[in-house]
Amino acid sequence: MNHNINRIVIVGGGTAGWLSAGIIAAEHRVAAESADHSFQLTLVESPDIPTIGVGEGTWPSMRSTLQKMGISETDFFRECSASFKQGTLFKGWRRGNDDSYCHPFSAPHGYTEINLAPHWQASRDQIGFADAVSPQSVLFADRQAPKQISTPEYAFNVNYGYHLDAGKFAEFLRKHCVEKLGVTHIKANVLGINSAENGDIASIDTDSHGTIEGNLFVDCSGQRSMLLGDHFGIPVLSKNTVLFNNTALAAQIPYDSDSDPIESCTLSTAQSAGWIWDIGLPTRRGIGHVYSSDHNTEDRASEELLSYIAKTVSKKAAAAATMRKVQFSPGHRAKFWHKNCVAIGMSAGFIEPLEASALVLVELSAGMIAEQLPANRDVMDLVAKRFNDKFLYRWDRIIEFLKLHYILSHRQDSAYWRDNHAPSSIPDNLRDLVELWRHQSPWHRDTVNADEMFPSASFQYVLYGMDFETQPSQTLRRSELTAQSQAQTLFRENAQRRAQLQSSMPTNRDLINKIHTYGFQKI
Amino acid sequence: MSSFAIVDSSVHRDLTVNTNRGAAFGDNLMFTMTYPMEFRDIQSCYPIFFSKDPETGQFYPVALLGFEEQSNLFLNGDQWEATYIPMTIRRQPFLIGFQPDPEKGDGATKPVVSIDMDSPRVTRNDGEALFNEDGKPTDFLQKTIGTLEAIHHGLEHNKGFVAALLEKELLESFTLEITLNDGSNNKLMGFYTIAEEKLQSLDGETLEKFNAQGYLQSIYMAMASFSRIRPMIDKKNAALD
Repeated sequence: MNHNINRIVIVGGGTAGWLSAGIIAAEHRVAAESADHSFQLTLVESPDIPTIGVGEGTWPSMRSTLQKMGISETDFFRECSASFKQGTLFKGWRRGNDDSYCHPFSAPHGYTEINLAPHWQASRDQIGFADAVSPQSVLFADRQAPKQISTPEYAFNVNYGYHLDAGKFAEFLRKHCVEKLGVTHIKANVLGINSAENGDIASIDTDSHGTIEGNLFVDCSGQRSMLLGDHFGIPVLSKNTVLFNNTALAAQIPYDSDSDPIESCTLSTAQSAGWIWDIGLPTRRGIGHVYSSDHNTEDRASEELLSYIAKTVSKKAAAAATMRKVQFSPGHRAKFWHKNCVAIGMSAGFIEPLEASALVLVELSAGMIAEQLPANRDVMDLVAKRFNDKFLYRWDRIIEFLKLHYILSHRQDSAYWRDNHAPSSIPDNLRDLVELWRHQSPWHRDTVNADEMFPSASFQYVLYGMDFETQPSQTLRRSELTAQSQAQTLFRENAQRRAQLQSSMPTNRDLINKIHTYGFQKI
Repeated sequence: MSSFAIVDSSVHRDLTVNTNRGAAFGDNLMFTMTYPMEFRDIQSCYPIFFSKDPETGQFYPVALLGFEEQSNLFLNGDQWEATYIPMTIRRQPFLIGFQPDPEKGDGATKPVVSIDMDSPRVTRNDGEALFNEDGKPTDFLQKTIGTLEAIHHGLEHNKGFVAALLEKELLESFTLEITLNDGSNNKLMGFYTIAEEKLQSLDGETLEKFNAQGYLQSIYMAMASFSRIRPMIDKKNAALD
């Protein structure tokens, strides 16, 4: 009996399915059955169920993900309406007026050697934290790009991820997976699931392609979670007592002219009971309002969204806007890998897109499967346990990190913001961390794992962007004394680098036009 | 600033061009574009590298003239000390412009000889005349037109040459570290050169194709041109004394 894990079946297309297929096939060569190392990767996609198209923002990790799959960054930009994302600009989160702060992708200058946060405290009234320690935020204002046309593909002057058209991205990945990576694509509806004696999924029955056998099934079927949820009954752990947002109204807004600037960060503007995302693609803006239906009515939420569109784009655009409503229950499955079935994407969990965690979780999940692919059924349960431990930990960290944005707010103007401060809504670990950070700034040893999703730099950007106060050290720290002059040098270097970037980086729009005309070089 | 005019015998009858060399004429360049058809002459004087156009990111071959911006080691006052001067230098202040071609229509263009009227080389009655008294182009202008035509074809040839090099991953970036006699260490960055290991592993079919297209010869000329770096370092050292 052959116990080798050499037939993976992914159920569900969309970005989660195709991204997973690409990541696994980039690591494990798909080969014909007769070969010694027979490995097959099949993706079964329903021709009838439309993809939901979540996740239009990525983390910088997407660059290496695409590169590893052998994708040309030029092709990606041209075919996915992609643009550069360099971080997020949060507006109105502190007090609900004109306040704003940047959370750039680049780590603070000198981050591997020295913690600049205590040294910045002295000048916090003169300069924002991100401006003092990162060169990147200066590029947000004039919608400048993170690189030049002469910079090789995937390389950068300052760190970046992408904004993209999720529908086009799935299609682009499908083509690449099928044509270049040997993934088998089957368009069929799943009718039933057949169990093996040990309770594993042995095969799935389809309407047009008969029975498809496999020894590892990846559930990318979306919120429905056909395999892990429906078949195995793994429950969703609701997080709605921590994160209240459960409804989104999404609109696609055309530019007035095709020379309008394209934002180089995600704009996130706090509202009375949620926040509005604003994502600039070359072809359109994706603007949506994610809110708590317990704290807001759909009418009011839609009014707030239209008012935002009228103010930031135009009244004309607001009048022409059509909205699509998406409801979700914030939370994740109690586990993600059960027997020979693992869930990736919305089938694993869903949470408001405040930190664009959807696509990066797909990358991390598929990346771990690719790296740790169990050799045979006997060791699969060990890998599954590791996977579950890791991703339960990650979901907890994501939820805490998102919640941090709410509890640092000084807003008291609605029940939503007040409820967000209720102690019962704050996870214990997060409450402890915030208490600790009143006396010491986040630093490398705060984090438990080497591959944390949110390093201490992320916490610093949010805490100090939100005006959080860390008391000066009670003791005279030798490390800080000796680092004084080094810190001042780093601040100065950062200011120089800001000025240099500001004068040398093209606008997002210009660079994207050039990518379409000339393309990036590979070297 | 530049303002280009199409060369016209009725308008430019009394125009002359100063063909002297010198920094004042914009000759003090670190590098200049070159073309495979002149590689044989270039490699006898200058190293041939590849550079990216900052506006488009596209590669083109260059003849290296100096190690830093605004520093041409071959320029000594009004003397250009080399047996061969690159075409892109010799063509100054002329260049090829394009204007609509009414005979072909449909947005088609034809190359026309243009002149940069703001160039310090452009004078009146001081240097090489463009036209004879009877309005016919002088030998000087005809020679210049020949150079421009060569450049025009060279640009097209470069595109194919560079595309072939990139397709076979035959370009690689490199850093040239130069220690001068005064002990200073200098780095030359931002240029690209032929990836010799990749070249040595090219398959026979590609080699045959490259040979037929003339690319193979150009590749080896570019590699041979490396020996011109040493004399440039010597010049630089000599300037220190």
